[in-house]
Amino acid sequence: MSSTYHGEDRVPIPPADAQQFTTVCSYCIVGCGYKVYKWPLGKEGGPLPHQNALKADYRRQQPEQAGTWISPAMHSVITERNGQRFNIVVLPDKDCVVNKGNHSVRGGTHGDVLYAPDRPTADRLTHPLLYRGQSQLPTTWDEAIELGALVIKASLDKWGSDTIAMKFFDHGGGGGGFENNWAAGKFFFTGIGTKMASIHNRPAYNSEVFASGDAGIAPLPSAYLDAELADTIMVIGANSYETQSIYFLEHMLPNLGGGTLPLKQQLLPGEPHAHGRMIIVDPRRTSTVAVAEAHAGKDNVLHLQINNGTDIALLNALSRLIHEQGWHDQEFIARRTENFAAFQAANLAQNLDEAVRLTGISKAQMMTAAEWIAKPKVNTARRRTLFLYEKGLIWGLKNYENVASVVDLALLTGNLGKPGTGCGRLGGHQEGYSRPAYPGQRPPVNVDEIAIKGGASKVFWVAGCNPAGGTLNAQQFRAYLAHRTALVNQALDATSSGSLNDRMAAVMTALDKGGLFLIVQDIYPIETAKYAHIVFPAAQWGEMNLTSINGERRLRLYQQFMDAPGIAEPDWKIMARMAQRLESAYRAEGKAEMAARFSGFTWTSDEEVFRAASAGVKGAQEDYGDTTYAMLKALGTNGVQTPVQEIRQGMPVGTTRLYMDEKQFTFIPSAWPGFPPQIQKLIDDPRYPFWVNNGRANHGWQTLYDDLRKPYVMGRAPFPHVEIHPQDARSLDIANGDLIELFNPYGTVSAMAVVTDSNAPGHVFMLFEHPKGWLNSLTTDYVDPATTIPYYKGTKAGIRKLGELPGLGEQLSFIPTNRT
Amino acid sequence: MSEVSRRHFLKLGACVVGGACAADALPSLGQAADNGDVTTLRTTLPYPRLKLAAIGQLTTEHELLTTYPDQASPVVLVKLGRPAHNGVGPDRDIVAFSRRCSHMGGALAFRAETGTFHCPLHYAMFDARKGGLMVIGQATDNLPQIELEVDTTGDIYAVGVKGLLYGRQANMLA
Repeated sequence: MSSTYHGEDRVPIPPADAQQFTTVCSYCIVGCGYKVYKWPLGKEGGPLPHQNALKADYRRQQPEQAGTWISPAMHSVITERNGQRFNIVVLPDKDCVVNKGNHSVRGGTHGDVLYAPDRPTADRLTHPLLYRGQSQLPTTWDEAIELGALVIKASLDKWGSDTIAMKFFDHGGGGGGFENNWAAGKFFFTGIGTKMASIHNRPAYNSEVFASGDAGIAPLPSAYLDAELADTIMVIGANSYETQSIYFLEHMLPNLGGGTLPLKQQLLPGEPHAHGRMIIVDPRRTSTVAVAEAHAGKDNVLHLQINNGTDIALLNALSRLIHEQGWHDQEFIARRTENFAAFQAANLAQNLDEAVRLTGISKAQMMTAAEWIAKPKVNTARRRTLFLYEKGLIWGLKNYENVASVVDLALLTGNLGKPGTGCGRLGGHQEGYSRPAYPGQRPPVNVDEIAIKGGASKVFWVAGCNPAGGTLNAQQFRAYLAHRTALVNQALDATSSGSLNDRMAAVMTALDKGGLFLIVQDIYPIETAKYAHIVFPAAQWGEMNLTSINGERRLRLYQQFMDAPGIAEPDWKIMARMAQRLESAYRAEGKAEMAARFSGFTWTSDEEVFRAASAGVKGAQEDYGDTTYAMLKALGTNGVQTPVQEIRQGMPVGTTRLYMDEKQFTFIPSAWPGFPPQIQKLIDDPRYPFWVNNGRANHGWQTLYDDLRKPYVMGRAPFPHVEIHPQDARSLDIANGDLIELFNPYGTVSAMAVVTDSNAPGHVFMLFEHPKGWLNSLTTDYVDPATTIPYYKGTKAGIRKLGELPGLGEQLSFIPTNRT
Repeated sequence: MSEVSRRHFLKLGACVVGGACAADALPSLGQAADNGDVTTLRTTLPYPRLKLAAIGQLTTEHELLTTYPDQASPVVLVKLGRPAHNGVGPDRDIVAFSRRCSHMGGALAFRAETGTFHCPLHYAMFDARKGGLMVIGQATDNLPQIELEVDTTGDIYAVGVKGLLYGRQANMLA
């Protein structure tokens, strides 16, 4: 038996005259810088420094962390539209201040996912597809756009704006970028005017941090430098070694190991400095806990192994302890905040014994956390604490209060707008949001429930996301998707005419009877696309110029370096095609007002859309003002941190850290609300004894859309895994590698067991997204009514063993990942 | 059992080697079962055949540090005490790997109780029994494994390397 690996024992090196581009990783929020080298197939650089583009001497062994080593996963051979073939190398940039040449397993394998007709990426969508007779067959852009425009226009005219629902990417990097986001927003909000909009993997059009916004804090207020300067870093609901790997390795760990002491002394003189400490709030003992302990020593890492759903009780208890000790920042509270009394009445009223009972965390541990957060270093120097949270908190029991309780803790302790402090998201995707205002209200409408399951919408356009597996309560969602789209299939199957108008009429009849017309726009034939009537092929990262910001608001240009496959187009162009078709249709009918709504899509370049999108970021953390592509090209992988304050001598001047001014904040009262009825019902039912937590794993990104084409990754993750405690595994006769089933009233899913003590008994952890088993088949339909954000992180299930899969146990390694 | 390199993947379509085939995750690509006719990785480089040790020199779970294919490439030879992928010797438990992490070249340490290699730079971990499979970490390939042969006298020879050694354009320096 063996596991998958690349296996090459040599790679071609770029010759000195290779074309060079700069870009940023397409995946996570950290946004590591990369250099791309491109040169014709059949040519190679030589081993002498002047013979290759990296100016390295390949006659010699390169030293560790040299930044000149090309792993086989960073190289590919591509074929352009004109048939010309090129070598491509995507190499981490050692001159980028974010990653300094470092890379994760995700970003380091970009060579594996460039489109090539003779590699596993050969199944990229290359042409529009149209539903014809139980199949999806290739067609032209004109035909696909025409049928889509006919159905959208007829629905809009007959039933109104909200009849068109959408679920779109809204992020940066490979998840969109300012260009694609602006075009999508302009189409749906200015053009269609729909409230039935939803984002990415959630059921509504919402911020994931409404509470932070209400408090006056943008989602990404800090710089990665702050993690190097902090006295304490508090990580809540994130497994950063595996999910923001390079932020963790290049900026947090050096602080924990004392490597940034000289920097602290230089930038923050006049106060005592020591190695940084880390507090990690997570129901699991993760690899992040293990690596932090190995690097900082166990005495400098505090893992608060919290019970699922009890973050508010913990964070409020910490606020209370700090306030009782008098460690709060009275001066900051008085000068820069309001609404303290409401916070005091709600948060500080948290009963400490109840918090211990709910969270499973001892009072002594809470006291240690309170000290590490807020006990002054000396009389004149407060601790600098950086609060970083992500999905464990955002997708916890109640989104609004969850986020509010950490924001309040940061305000109580004065940790904003100073070096080494902050309170913000760690982030998932990069950011690149710019859109006209969403026409709906807060709380936003639950599109899954109202538009799709409830039937309020009749056309559903999905782009860059995979709700068939990724949305909450996904099994029910799939059932509605299958049923409603099949009504349209049947109508189309029964149409014998070759006229698109006749087909539109047949579709309209089906929509009237409860059918759903589905458009899916993506780079791959994802699960949701199986139900689609039109599939639009999109370009990906590297196939268009795009711009995005990372987790410290670092704006960069991601250069195009290759063609999109077939006749695939950037998302903004697809939106423009549809808008222009609708504009001309309305103009032909003399409906000038409707035509005007779809006007202004006549861009001819990526940069024109980038400039247009600057209107959507005015005053926001993303505000890039008059920045141009040429400026960003000159700034390379280091870019500029938004908001851009001005253009000086032809270059943008950015902002390292937000709130260094006298910006005012508001406490948001938040008390632990108890469990909602859906969850309480599961808690009370002995058939579903296991709490099911979930999250990402190191080697995979999101729905694994790219990873499915990376044999190295899939060889390690052929199935989603479930971490189960040895005690529970024993009682269910489950061993490593066994196939198991998880079930509850919402659905069932199968997965592979990994026996580990990472969770407490009675608690399991499942990989969040994997096409061979969607965790979301088990999540309830509960959302926070204040924000319409789901409680993805908590559900309960029963577990039974299905059996062994021969060979699997030998192929994979089951050595615990949370030990070093 | 067969080893399949990426070259073979390209030819056969994506498949997890060892029986569990992930090919239907890639609907438009062909499938391939674990085909006994697929040859082991054929290296294209002129690897030397070098004696690393005699079996009698090895004690279970103790590393023997040496170099291959040249003195600038540290490798570790170890008898694991349990059968391993590509293991040689009577117990199929003798394996050898590069000691440079396939992430960024850190000097790996072996831990006998788990049979794992650990990198001090960014905490990557590799499983010695599973062909250098990365258990966790940021490397984009498994740990390069040294191909071994044992002759009739019990001498262990290194004859090739599977996977690209960190810090090299080709495993054999120019």
